[in-house]
Amino acid sequence: MTGSGKLVEKLWAGLFASPYLAHLVLLTAWPVLALSYLSFTDYDTVSSPNWIGLDNYTRLLKDEHFWNSLLNTGLFALLYVPLQTVLALVLAVGLNQRLRFMPLLRGAYFVPVVSSWVVIAYVADAVFNPRTGSANTVLGWFGADPQTWLKSPALVIPTLALVAVWKGVGYMMVLFLAGLQSIPKELYEAAEVDGAGPVRRFWRITVPAVSGTTFLVLVLSTISVLQAFEQVYVMTGGGPGDASEVTVLYMYRQGFEFFQMGYAAAVAWVLFGITLVLTLFQLWLQRKWVHYA
Amino acid sequence: MPSRVLKRGVRPGRLLAYTFVVSGAVIMLLPFVTSLFNSLKSYADFIAIPQTLLPDPPVWSNYTEVWGRAPFATYAINSFVIAGLATIGAVISSAMVGHAMARMRLPLRNALLTAALATLMLPTVVTIIPTFIMFREFGWLDTFLPLIVPFWLATPFGIFLMRQAFLAIPKDFMEAATLDGAGLWTVFARIHLPLVKPSLATLAVFTFMTSWGAVLEPTVYLTSPEKLTLPIGVMGLRGQFVGNDQLVTAGALMSLVPILVVFIVAQRYFVRGAAASGLKG
Repeated sequence: MTGSGKLVEKLWAGLFASPYLAHLVLLTAWPVLALSYLSFTDYDTVSSPNWIGLDNYTRLLKDEHFWNSLLNTGLFALLYVPLQTVLALVLAVGLNQRLRFMPLLRGAYFVPVVSSWVVIAYVADAVFNPRTGSANTVLGWFGADPQTWLKSPALVIPTLALVAVWKGVGYMMVLFLAGLQSIPKELYEAAEVDGAGPVRRFWRITVPAVSGTTFLVLVLSTISVLQAFEQVYVMTGGGPGDASEVTVLYMYRQGFEFFQMGYAAAVAWVLFGITLVLTLFQLWLQRKWVHYA
Repeated sequence: MPSRVLKRGVRPGRLLAYTFVVSGAVIMLLPFVTSLFNSLKSYADFIAIPQTLLPDPPVWSNYTEVWGRAPFATYAINSFVIAGLATIGAVISSAMVGHAMARMRLPLRNALLTAALATLMLPTVVTIIPTFIMFREFGWLDTFLPLIVPFWLATPFGIFLMRQAFLAIPKDFMEAATLDGAGLWTVFARIHLPLVKPSLATLAVFTFMTSWGAVLEPTVYLTSPEKLTLPIGVMGLRGQFVGNDQLVTAGALMSLVPILVVFIVAQRYFVRGAAASGLKG
């Protein structure tokens, strides 16, 4: 190819990539820069922003509601991430067998995935409504006391986490299925000849073989739970009181309800920082336990 | 024969797996079935203690009542327009960018790939404040544009998916076509694009699902009642039918129908899309 031909091709490539270049400028670089700037101002969306230095950040340190929101987010993550990951893996192992009606079964796990949070909120109410929900009926069978679930300060986050797992597990399960299907069958046959039972085979072959996928699922679900907004916004609005006010909801309130955009920007920055640190920590940690074939 | 040995050993495990997976599937669907029953109850049935599972008799008029009292058709059309245009845009732009990254001499290709990865970590909720301010400057508040235009600028998920698909096409196709005098656009549109149809379909259903179910962006950008999308409209029902959750549930289930139809028609693309998001760049 001639020199000018190469240049023409580069120009074409640039043209093809231009939507994403625009994306990077308008939806990534600019918002990040603007957010950084705003977090040092007291912007109320009407008058122009005033530079106030680190005030927003020092205010954050003393803001009980902010710390409460971080604690809620942390509790949510601690309950959701491990449960989601383990269940998704176990379900994927189950669904990886050649069972009848497999597409139908997999489909069942995907119905909550495709439902919007608004639909999930009402569907979950059929289960966790304190008065009419089936969860209390089931508790009754075992002689346990009825609970108020989403209306209980102690149970609201665990209930939200359960619902989040119920909605998301089908998605993560498919990630594991893809991983499982790449394990050579000979490994299992060899282990079986050596007398390894199903439990041993699971721990010695399956778990190490899908550790790459496990890592991915951990990272994806950590990021998604730290960003949890829609579920909480729709299902509890942060209540009862502020028992389920997660950090993103707090940020949203500060910005779009109290019009303290500068303060909300500082919250957004801290949250992004936490996400980044956790993701990098997981990346660092994976070297110790992820086996890549 | 080794396979026979394997079969004998696996049988009890299979039964266990079967039981586990089927009961899991029932748990997944049961709340939907219960909601469906709830949505067909009369108010008296709905508040009765103890609860009956089945509506007796089923009040089908709950559905017509919700449909009649809220502008559901308007919400549905809005959602279709927004999700439809967002999907078209995401598919076209992601295919172009993915193609440039996989099969063209794109300067700074690796840097762009890293940037796409980083954007995945930067959630909408974090950038929504400056993005909101920007769209306000554009005069786009209370229009569909903030809900559509970002999808026309390619999504990171779409780029990864399409890049992967184009990389799987042998380079010979392009070389042969170029020797025959085909230009770069012809190679893309006539030769490569038809070969990645399954990935385009996957991206289309995932984008449609994302846009259809979105709550944050429509809440932030739309204010006029006649411009609301279905999820926001359904959320509003709660205030409109206070205490009549059987009616609200009917509305919520109605909003689920279109996406469920998409899901049933394109089931394999959903599964493929979920699996594809596990691909490393």
